[in-house]
This record gives sequence, structure tokens and C-alpha cells, in this order.
Amino acid sequence: MTKVLQIKDLCKTYVVEKRQNNVLKNVSFDVDDGEMVGIMGPSGSGKSTLLYSVSGMDRATSGQVLLEGKDITTLSEKELASVRLDDMGFIFQQMFMMKNLTIMDNILLPAIECSKSAETRKDKVARCEELMRKLGIIEIAGNDINEVSGGQLQRACICRSMVNNPKILFADEPTGALNRQSSAEVMDEICKLNQEGTTVLMVTHDAKVASRCSRVLYIADGNIRSEYRTPEGLSDRDRERALNNWLLELGW
Amino acid sequence: MFLRILRKDLIKRKATNLIVLLFVILAAMFVGGGLNNVLTVLNGTDYYLDKGGVGDYIIITMGRNALGSLDEMLKTEPSIKEYRLDNVVYASQDGIKKQDGSAVTTKNVPLLQSQMTSTFHFYNENNEDPAPLLPGHCYIAGDFIKKNDIKIGDTIFISQEDISVPLIVDGKIKDALLGSTFMGNTRFLLHEDDFQKFASDADIIEKYSGQICCIDTIDHDVKGVEDAVANCSNVAFNKPRSVIGTAYVMDMIVAFIVLILSVCLIILAFVVLKVSLSFTITKEFREIGVLKAIGIRNIKIRTLYLIKYLVIAIVGSVIGFLLSIPLSDLLLRSVSENMVLGNSLGIWINVLGAVIVVIAIVLMAYLSTRKVKKATPVDAIRTGQTGERFSKKSKLHLSKQNAGTSAFLAVNDTVSNPKRYIAIVIAFCLCTLFVLMLVNTTNTMRSDALISTFCAKADLYMNNVKDAMELMGGDFDKTDAFFAQKEQKLQELNMPGKMGVEYQYGYSVTANGKTSKLICEYGYKTDYGSYTFTKGTRPENRNEIAITEALADKIDVRIGDTVTIDFGSEKLDCIITAYYQSFNQLGEIIRLHPSAPVDNRYCTSVMAFQVTFDDHPSNKVISERKKILEKEYPKYEVFTTSEYVADCIQVVPTMEAVQYLLLAITLIVVALVTILMELSFLADEKSQIALLKAIGFKNGRIYGWHVIRFGIVAFAACLLAALLSIPMTKLCISPIFGMMGVNKITYAYKPLELFLLYPGAVLLMTLIVAYFTSLTSKSIHSYDTANIE
Repeated sequence: MTKVLQIKDLCKTYVVEKRQNNVLKNVSFDVDDGEMVGIMGPSGSGKSTLLYSVSGMDRATSGQVLLEGKDITTLSEKELASVRLDDMGFIFQQMFMMKNLTIMDNILLPAIECSKSAETRKDKVARCEELMRKLGIIEIAGNDINEVSGGQLQRACICRSMVNNPKILFADEPTGALNRQSSAEVMDEICKLNQEGTTVLMVTHDAKVASRCSRVLYIADGNIRSEYRTPEGLSDRDRERALNNWLLELGW
Repeated sequence: MFLRILRKDLIKRKATNLIVLLFVILAAMFVGGGLNNVLTVLNGTDYYLDKGGVGDYIIITMGRNALGSLDEMLKTEPSIKEYRLDNVVYASQDGIKKQDGSAVTTKNVPLLQSQMTSTFHFYNENNEDPAPLLPGHCYIAGDFIKKNDIKIGDTIFISQEDISVPLIVDGKIKDALLGSTFMGNTRFLLHEDDFQKFASDADIIEKYSGQICCIDTIDHDVKGVEDAVANCSNVAFNKPRSVIGTAYVMDMIVAFIVLILSVCLIILAFVVLKVSLSFTITKEFREIGVLKAIGIRNIKIRTLYLIKYLVIAIVGSVIGFLLSIPLSDLLLRSVSENMVLGNSLGIWINVLGAVIVVIAIVLMAYLSTRKVKKATPVDAIRTGQTGERFSKKSKLHLSKQNAGTSAFLAVNDTVSNPKRYIAIVIAFCLCTLFVLMLVNTTNTMRSDALISTFCAKADLYMNNVKDAMELMGGDFDKTDAFFAQKEQKLQELNMPGKMGVEYQYGYSVTANGKTSKLICEYGYKTDYGSYTFTKGTRPENRNEIAITEALADKIDVRIGDTVTIDFGSEKLDCIITAYYQSFNQLGEIIRLHPSAPVDNRYCTSVMAFQVTFDDHPSNKVISERKKILEKEYPKYEVFTTSEYVADCIQVVPTMEAVQYLLLAITLIVVALVTILMELSFLADEKSQIALLKAIGFKNGRIYGWHVIRFGIVAFAACLLAALLSIPMTKLCISPIFGMMGVNKITYAYKPLELFLLYPGAVLLMTLIVAYFTSLTSKSIHSYDTANIE
């Protein structure tokens, strides 16, 4: 299987008042095309730092991040922005949106900015509508962001992350701010996208959410301590139970 | 504990606190400087006339004949409390030469006086007493030094009859009585020994001596003196102190503009301060929520913020106070080169301004913290919003526009939440409006439109005091001969034209049984059709006159009334047929019909000679002919119509200087407001910027969004200012012209300057500053999405 993402010896060090804090210590792992990988770990273990370093939002101190074989750690800010726009999608825990735009315009914004395809604005609008229809939020397209529920807003964020057909989707606690029902709906949508071929790398501390990933990496003290492959053919409940057992073994 | 929270807050919210501090400094600076200006300007003329020793009534005589009748009047008039007499000698323009022997130009007849015996008080350029003169040295009042390019230490030669005295120029002095724009006589202060060289010559005493009489009356009532002076002979000038004060109106225009500017800057500083305060309080709702959640009472939370803003207000006000001292000096210095302005309270006014700012800020902070009272801990934790987090309504739709993302975001922001930009629009609009009002006023003062308030319209105006004085004494045959010679020259120069001139006469005019000495103007061979009258019909017969409304009010006459004018050769009952406007004689003057029986023995002054070409040339040709005449007549000053208006008003160069100063202040204020508001926006929109960066927007797009947004706001403000400037100029400036008796002014609006040049400068400054400030958004990273609350 093709490797979409290869992380090699990634280190991230923060210097606070002359004191070094090594948040990531020689982290290495790969993500295959179409895979859905979860990252778990205790608070302060470096999960989010890893996600932001891998996605090029933050600069790693050393190491390599190869996106389809191309090292993005050597790219300039401008080139990194282009990579994020064209090849990556992001979902955050907080449903960040542009305040004065409608749901539709928030989703359309990166599509208009992206110039990798020769689509007209009309085509882009049609694609956005199709995505929204798929995620069941077409009826709120013209709404302001204060007029919809948290679950709908997060689904709008998923639409925005998918609008430029990214090679990989990064999600940082995508259900962290949602209730149980909305969480399930959002995860259903992410899993559906994954089943359709989208590669997903997701940070979460929710075992229920993580159990829906094909592979889970456990990070502690800046290192990947363990890796867990979710067995196939189990019910959702059993998958969650099996993951919890693994986590208990790790001292979770 | 509170002090610890306060200290941490001051450090943690450095940028926001710095914004508030900067505006406190601005406010204190402008309140202090502005208040100082307000008091200085309001008391300006009185203060200066008091300092200069100008009494209730001034009479200036010319020639020895005046002495008897004036002495008698001074001794017999019961309303006179005390008086002072200063002896002067009249010089002539031709009798004054520069170091290199070249001629000088003076607007009116120069006066020579002894420094030691003068009862008036003069000031040097630093508003201090001038040092006592040594023999062979002199001081010169007014703009003579500047106009004739004379340097301190240069020698000038003053000659009258057979006496010639070389004098070293020690400097310029400020002359309260004669130094105003409309008085315009240059006073030369000499050492007593030098003055006596002129004053002891019998011929000079006979022909060129004069006196300045300064009278103080009982209860400042000048009516008795005014009536009595009608019987004095050889009076060249007689006006009460109030009228002498209005002669400074042009200088005061500039001072008033600075005053209005100061008031506006104060309002501006408070508007922005209020916005900043509300903004910071809103931003701190999370902390407020936490404090409330743990049970701290409202009053304690409010006290915490009040202490914080009190600290900022005190620090800012002290810095602002210190900066307000040089600012008020700078503003006043640029206001008037001719006046000594000041107030007795000095810097205590600035201190008062700083205290007002501290009180105002604490009060505003107290009002802004009212929100703390209303908020529940839950509301507060939701950053002050109830229900959902956002409450904005989008107005435009990206799917229906063809604009780029930056432009769309900018336009959508401004139309979706215009309230957010009101403070900037008000600030920019006010600043631009004042510049444009000043530009309109200056352009009007330089335009042909005002010529009818001075004299008839002609193509060129030629000024030479010596020739004018020669015509004053002679009859009209002499004038005709002089004109014939000039017209012959024009013919030879292949630009045939006609000459004309405006005379002014001092006649005794009797109205309602009361006789007053009034000035009448009379156009000899001028274009009578070019005079404008504001009401009634123009005089068509020798016994018909027009009068200014200011004079009509003063002597209590109306159109249709009859006054008796003693023309010397005959007394004539004249009917008032019209009102008109004039800047001459401080707006108190009569216009005679060309066939009126005038007598040049009573002539008090002659204005510039008017040249009207036969072939109605274009402005370009007139400018070329002006150069030819300047070459042909090097001793003459030659003006186009607009130049002559500017020369008569004199204050135009000062107005231009203030205009540029105001533009500079405006651009600085615009830059400051832009920086501070953009920093506020960046702080407010940190999450949105981080989001845009996270989803792949390049920095350039973010800069574009912010710069275009400021561009839209500045454009709207400038357009509004340009449109408002037309009615506002009329509204604010017309009353000042009205004080001079000119109520109907045709303003000169230059669309290019009004809609492009000056608003363009403001817009350009906004865009440049917004761009450089938006560069700080570079420090907001896409990974900040993880750190935003």
C-alpha cells in the first residue's frame, strides 16, 4: 500500500526561559493511503504538537515529514500554506469559522482560494453543495454560524476540510466539544469519508472515537510507546472494549 | 491579591493596555494643548491689545495742521479719562533703500518713531521686550523684513528730504496697533538720536510729522470721542479699540481653526478611547466570569478594573501633559507671527487638561464596567455573549460574487458590522473635513471671487506707494496724465489697455443729525459694472451712494435714507440706494458714484492701479503680460486678480502654513488611529487569522483583507468629508468673514483638491500604515488554533 505520510525521527523542542522542553523525541511512523490512524495519550504527552508538526502548521525542530514522498519540513511558509490548502484538510475541536460568513461561504472560502483545478466558481459552488448534501447540512447553507447547532457546525467544518479533495485529513479532538449524539454523527461522517478513500490522522482521548480507527498510536513523554491495530470483524462495542484493555495495559 | 492580578494583567495584556495608554496620552496631549488654545484664542485680541498698550480709541494724524484741533479736542472732550501722544515721522517707500541700494516695497506709508519715547509696548519674535536700541540701529514691525528679504544685521538707509540715516536692522518687532493684516503700516523703531535727526528738521516737521493719540475714556465709552473727532483736521485714522481688534480677524481665523481642531482632536481621542475601553472590557469577560464564579462581588471586580485604568490614566496623563506643553507652543506659534498670544494661567491649563482626562477615563471605565454587573458567571465565561457564540449576520454571499477572497472578506466585514468601524469613520472624517475646510478657505482667499470686496475687477494690478502718494495730493488731470503715460506704454508693448484706480476719501458724513468722519471709496475710470451690491440698486447718479451693512448699522441708516456728505467743495444730500460688501476699512465704508464731486485734498489712500486690457486676454496671456510689466516697471509690484486678493488679505501664507501643519497632524492622527484600531482588530480576530492560515491562506491574503477593509472605511470617511466640507465651510467660515462685514462669500471649491488630492493623501496614509501594521499578523500562526480559548 502507498504511504501517504512518513514521519522520520521527528523532534520538537520548546525553549522556555532558557529551559529546554523536548515535547517530541525522535517520533517515527507511517500512514498508509486510505488508513484512519488515531493518536492517543495522556494530557501533555505531545499529541497535538505531533499533529501540528506533521501537518506543517508548526515547525519541527528536526526530523522529516514526507507527504507522498516530499519532505514538507524544508518548505517555506508560503509553500507550506499551499500544501495545506491543496493537499490537507483540518478539523479542530473548537468549530472555528469566519464570523461574518454564512455556512456555505465558510465552506466555499478555501475552494475559491485554491487554484489547483481549473474549475469555475459555479463548479466550486456546485461541489460545495454536493458535499453539504452528503453530510446532511444543505438546508443550513445560507444560515449564519450562530444559527446552527454544534454538531451541524462541526459537520460544516468537515465539509470545509474536504472541499479541496485533500490527500489527508487531520483532526484534532473533532468530537471534544460535542455531546454524545453529535459525536456519533460526526464520527459516522469521518468514517464514511475514510471508507470512500480519505486518509485520516486524528488526535483523540476518547476511546470510543479511537476504536473506530484502523490503527491507534499511543504517545507518552514525546515518544510513541505502543501501536494498536484494531481487529477486523468485531462489533463497535467489542472494538471499544478491546481498545480499552490495551489502554489499561499501558496504564491509561 | 488584587495587586498581583493587576500586575499580571498589565503584563499579560501588554498590547491592549498599550493601546489604551497611547490614547490616554493622545487625549491628555490634545485636551491640555486644546484648552490652552481655547483660552488663549478667546482672549487673544484683548490680551494682545492690552499687552501692546492700545487704549479705548486711537487717532492718527498726518501733518502739522492737525495739532491745534486735536489738542483742543483732547482738552475739552469730557469723556476722555487720559490720553498719550506719540510723535511720528512719515517716511516714503522710495526713501528706504536696502544695503545694496535696491528699493524696498511697503504696503502702506511707513512710520518712524523713537523707541525711548514710544508709549506703546512692542515685543520681539520670542514675545519678550526688545533690547534697548543703540544709535544707528532699528527694529522693524510687520512682515517688512521677510517681504524685502532683509537679514538681521543688514543695513538699510532711510531718507526724508535731505536727511539720510543708515540703520542696522536688529530684528522684527510685534506691533499691536499697526501690525495687523488690515492696518499694515510698517513701524520703524529708531534710537532717539536717530529719530531726532528727522524730527528736528523744519521741513520734515511741516510735511511729514504726525501723531498717534491713544485715548482711554470714562467707562470705555467712545461715543463722545467719535463725535468730537469729526471736527479734527488731518485725521488719517480714527477707530475705537474694538475695530482695531477686528483687524486681527484674519489672524484670528487661523487661531480659531486651531481651536476647532483641538476640540475635534479631544472628541476624537475620547471616541477612540471609549471604543478601546469597551473592547478591552469585553475581551476580559472570561476573567470576570472566573472571578464571579469563585464568589468575588461585583464591586470588587469593578474596583479591580477601575484601579487598572486609573494607573493607565495617571501614567498616560502625565506623559500627555508633558507633551501638551510643546504642542500648545507649536500650535500657537504657527497661528500668528504678528501677535503675542498667551493666557495668565500658563501651564496650569495643561495640568487641568490632564486631570480632566484622568477623571474622564475613570468615569468611562466605570461606565464600561457596568456590563460586569449584568453578566452572570456563565454569560461571562461565554465571553459576554448569551446563547451562541456569535451574533453577526452576513450581508454578502461569496457564491454570488466574483471578488477575490481578501476583497470579499473586507467588503463583507464592513457591510455586516458597520458599527464596528464608526469610530474610525468619525475620526478620519473629522480630520479630513478640517483639512478640506481650510483648503476651501485658503482657495477662496486666493480666488478672483473676493476681488469685488476690495475694488473693481481688472486684469492686472500694479502697486507703487510713491506714485500712489503723488496722486493722492494732485487733481484728476494729474491722474489722467499718469494714466495716459501708462496706457501709451501698454500700446508700445503691444498690449493695449485702460488704467483705473480706487481712491479713498475721509469725509464728514451727517446721518440722523450726527456727523462722523467716514471713509468713502471711489473708482476712477474703473469697471463700474464689476462692483457687486448685495441689496438694492447700484448708485446711478452723483447723489446716490451704496453703504456696507456694518456701517449702516453703526450710523443707523437704511436703503432709501438720505445722508449729507461734505465733499469739501460742496455738501450733498446723498440717497442710499444699495448695500454692498467690503473688506476695506474693516468693513465700514461708503461707495460713491463715479460722478460724485470728490476732492483729492481729502484723499486718504490710493489702492493699486488697475490695468484692463482691450482684447480680453486669457489667464495665460495675462500671466505673460504680467512678466513683461514686471520687467518694464521694476519698482512696481504687479499682481493678477487672485494674487492681489491674497496680497490684500495677507494672511494667506500663514493659512497655507497652518493648512500643511493641519494636514501633517491629520496624517499623524490617521496613522495612529489606524495602528491602534488594526492592532485591536488583530487581537480580536486572532482565531480567524489562525484558522485562515491553518486552512492554507498565505500571509498576503490576510494583509490584503485587512488593508482593503481599512481602505473601504477610509474611502467612505474621505468621501463623506469631501461632501460635508462644502456646507461646513459655509457654516463655519462665513461668520468669520461676516465679522468683517462680508456676509455673502462665493467660495472657491477646487474639485481636484477636494475629492482627490487631500482625501487621496489620507487614503494613501491609511493604506500604507494599515499594510505595515497588518504585517504583525505574521506572528499569528496556524498552530495558534490550538491555543485560542
